[in-house]
Amino acid sequence: MLFLNPLQSLWTAWQSQGCTVTSLLVIVLLPWSSSTSVEQKTLDLMRREPLIDGHNDLALQLRINYNNRLSTIDLHNLSKTHTDIERLKAGHVGAQMWSAYVLCSSQDKDAVRLTLEQIDVIKRMCSNYEELELVTSSTAVRETKKIGCLIAIEGGHSIDSSLPALRMFYDLGVRSLALTHTCNTPWAETSSSIHRVYQRDISLTEFGKEVVKEMNRLGMMIDLSHSSVSTARAVLLISRAPVIFSHSSASAVCNNPRNVPDDLLQLLKKNGGIVMVNLYNRFVACGKKANIATVADHFDHIKKIAGSESIGIGGDYDGARG
Amino acid sequence: MYWRLILLNVLSGFINCSADINREKAERLMAETPLIDGHNDLPWQMRQLFNNELEKMDLNTLEKTHTNIPKIKAGHLSAQFWAAYVPCESQYKDAVRQTVEQIDVVHRLCRLYPDDLIFATSTDDILTAFQQNKTASLIGVEGGHSIDSSLGTLRMFYNLGVRYLTLTHSCNTPWADNWLVDTGKDTAINNGLSDFGKELIKEMNRIGMLIDLAHVSEKVMNLVLELSNAPVIFSHSSAYEVCNSKRNVPDDVLKRVAQKKGIVMVNFYNDYVTCQKTANLSNVADHFDHIKKVAGHEIIGFGGDYDGVTRVPKGLEDVSKYPDLVAELLRRGWTDIEVKAALGNNLLRVFKEVEKVRDSMSSVKPYEVPIPYADVVNPCRTMYGYPPQDNAGSMVSLGLHLPVLTLLLHGTIVWLF
Repeated sequence: MLFLNPLQSLWTAWQSQGCTVTSLLVIVLLPWSSSTSVEQKTLDLMRREPLIDGHNDLALQLRINYNNRLSTIDLHNLSKTHTDIERLKAGHVGAQMWSAYVLCSSQDKDAVRLTLEQIDVIKRMCSNYEELELVTSSTAVRETKKIGCLIAIEGGHSIDSSLPALRMFYDLGVRSLALTHTCNTPWAETSSSIHRVYQRDISLTEFGKEVVKEMNRLGMMIDLSHSSVSTARAVLLISRAPVIFSHSSASAVCNNPRNVPDDLLQLLKKNGGIVMVNLYNRFVACGKKANIATVADHFDHIKKIAGSESIGIGGDYDGARG
Repeated sequence: MYWRLILLNVLSGFINCSADINREKAERLMAETPLIDGHNDLPWQMRQLFNNELEKMDLNTLEKTHTNIPKIKAGHLSAQFWAAYVPCESQYKDAVRQTVEQIDVVHRLCRLYPDDLIFATSTDDILTAFQQNKTASLIGVEGGHSIDSSLGTLRMFYNLGVRYLTLTHSCNTPWADNWLVDTGKDTAINNGLSDFGKELIKEMNRIGMLIDLAHVSEKVMNLVLELSNAPVIFSHSSAYEVCNSKRNVPDDVLKRVAQKKGIVMVNFYNDYVTCQKTANLSNVADHFDHIKKVAGHEIIGFGGDYDGVTRVPKGLEDVSKYPDLVAELLRRGWTDIEVKAALGNNLLRVFKEVEKVRDSMSSVKPYEVPIPYADVVNPCRTMYGYPPQDNAGSMVSLGLHLPVLTLLLHGTIVWLF
């Protein structure tokens, strides 16, 4: 990727979403060096340290566009999605948490089956292409020479209030569960007001606490993106392991219920967890338009409140549109 | 008078000696070849009795079931396919979740009793367990309703260690008909197997999942025997000619199973052994004899159905009694080779061949065409992923627009928030 001058370079990079993160790093390093050396430094850094993105909904697009029929597409180049293998490579993505997401309208219906099918499509995708490799441990993420594939379930409704289902998902290779999507479960509360189901005064029930403990016992990451602030606080109080926000940004920069307020950031720092910054316009700029500088503001803010060890990237590509 | 008494005593002593010799020989043969039983419903008892709270019971001392660890040891039960069964009432509701929970029960039992049970998913695992004097614990899912017409779910069950799927329990699936159709108590909806059902058979061959034909209609038996590239099993069915229950296998099918080198694992349930409420060990042995006569000793196995049925034969009251049945076979003149074949060698052969077929199909792509939406439409199923034109011919024409609009609305809302 050639950069002709800094501004043009940044605009080209923004348009090519696969290079967005590279551009983020460029803009962060820009004040201290010339653009060419910053670009070089960025690429050197990304070649040495794999970028691990916290949230990508390609599997959702595979369902919507192709009904999970992988044989009908070539994942190297896709026209309908933010993501394909060529762009993952161009963006220096070393590992991706693929979201096994199913709609909230399937809660209490066929959510479990649909989730199994999303896990199946991710596993097939990661074994069909030699550039991808399914990984299920931190060691494997470090050691893989390919793009590591992690599986993350997005929404507690996928386990249908069943601890055995949680355990069996773990056995299938799932390593992260977001406690809610945009709907309450019978045991945890969402930050969204779209679905009026399971509305209770309590944000994390006794069963919800058992889910958290079982996740700790198994080694399943607890993802608090989409959870209400109360639920997140309740989890941070009892979790013995660090937690993640797989695709959320900073409330202080953009006051959206999907983002993380400063007091939670401080709790997260003590917990040793991580906020993986979401790139969706509505969450970074509270409006329709955003640019790389706005995203970088979230990084700066989280670093200021919780330290650089609490930050990651969770692009929400192919889940967010705009 | 006295000489009659003496003769009687000598004769009974001789008979007892014979019985003891056969019993001893049975134990010896069972120490050399693993007894592999095709079907035991202990996990279902765990749900019924303890709601799967396994910490509330001790399998070492449990009295309420046909199966516990001392009985397993006494019965020389070296390998068991534990049934992950959920009732037909859960079809179109929460069958998948319940099945996942039953699969989890088997995993947990193995972790709770590591000295006696060891989780197994292959022929090698069975033999390793046998060498370690533990019971290899495999999983069979009993009923196609458990996969909710989903190939992805079938594959994920295989990933969780499931190694056989009984195509139906006592209810039709949207793609296969069950045995009640042959009794007149149910109506065929698939003419045996639908096109999707036929693809499912191929996918099961591809991934190495044993196809179990217990509980299916006769038409399905014959269709699968024709279609399958791998040998098939009847995990717990007996001989129709001995007891004419439609749960049993007719002679012409037994011969086809022999041609396909499959296996019929004899069920001990009284109603399928004598077609009456009572039976005894000898009645069960009659089924073994009949199958051997019609189709040869190489297609026979044991599929007791313990803890899945309430009426078991006198002499076979629980899983500790297998050696007595083996002794009876020896008494009837079964050779060592024939007995060992029935104990485990036949199942090992079938399983090995299924693994071979799987390995030979490793370059074949997974089958991924979903079942037509019209075949599965019901109130608890979203149409998530189906393009709107797939709904042509759906019975719920009015409700069609709602799912489509809901999908679009939710998609939009997800992206907004």
